[in-house]
Amino acid sequence: MRADAVRGHLDGLLLAVLESGPLHGYAIIAAVQDRSGGALELRTGTIYPALNRLERLGLLTSSWEAAGERQRRRYRLTDAGRRTLDGERAAWREFTTVIGSVLNPAAPPSPAT
Amino acid sequence: MSGADPAGDPIGDYVADLSAALHGPARAKARLIREIHEGLTDAVDAHAAEGLPRHQAARLAIREFGTAADLVPCCQRELTIAQARHTARAAARTVPFLLACWLLLWTAVPDGGWAPRLLTVHLAGVAGTVALLAAATPAVTGALARRLPVPRRLPLAVAWTGTTAGLGMAVAALALITSSPLAADWPPLALAGVLAAVAHGMVATSARACRRCARLKTA
Repeated sequence: MRADAVRGHLDGLLLAVLESGPLHGYAIIAAVQDRSGGALELRTGTIYPALNRLERLGLLTSSWEAAGERQRRRYRLTDAGRRTLDGERAAWREFTTVIGSVLNPAAPPSPAT
Repeated sequence: MSGADPAGDPIGDYVADLSAALHGPARAKARLIREIHEGLTDAVDAHAAEGLPRHQAARLAIREFGTAADLVPCCQRELTIAQARHTARAAARTVPFLLACWLLLWTAVPDGGWAPRLLTVHLAGVAGTVALLAAATPAVTGALARRLPVPRRLPLAVAWTGTTAGLGMAVAALALITSSPLAADWPPLALAGVLAAVAHGMVATSARACRRCARLKTA
């Protein structure tokens, strides 16, 4: 799946992989790719400004944490982030239901005999 | 972790190119660049662990990351908003100086002519503008932005509001300092002038940086 197709859903994907616990940038990228079975083509560099934006909106918090000799910035979901994720899921379900009903219409009822 | 790479340091070069192309508050920019550097290093480590030679792992990590030219607009967008917020905070820090300045002028020349009255109105106007800027910018770019997109011209508006307020402070400082030798009770006026000059210095530099960021291309 091309990066363009992912663009409008990036926030939801990032929030979703952080739901189970805090992660640093590269681990977030790996989690998105693992969950998609490698089907999502992400320009991975775009993740970092997106994480900064979600933190500015109050959906994530972050802090530098030691990882061996290096420091990594780990992100956590806030309560507002969880509520936004719930909203993203509901919107996605509604979207797939509506589009699915157009793409795969139910068989028309058979005429009464 | 890494040996000498005959192809040089592609990750270092990439990050240096990105850093040179981006502008914004020093701390926000350093954080973003450091995070990108760490992320690229993690990607190189992951590819090298799968058996790729290190220089090939670095090239692959950079290809997956996107070119610096691709990445600059979305990174600059965040840094431009960070600069607008920084300028609004700098403006907020001048409010106590402006109020002290206004109070000194008000008490030193309680029933003066039109010039001191005009200056007190001018200072009140500048303080009010600055307070509005300081209150609105964090809200519009923070929690409110979950529901409403940040207006694209907001950083430019913040930059020019900050610039105008800075000019207002400079005019007040000049008027107060030059007129204080003529006043009977000159020390409060001179002190008010110095406070206005300090406030001008605090906001003018940040507003100039904000004007520069607001002119750059963003995603």
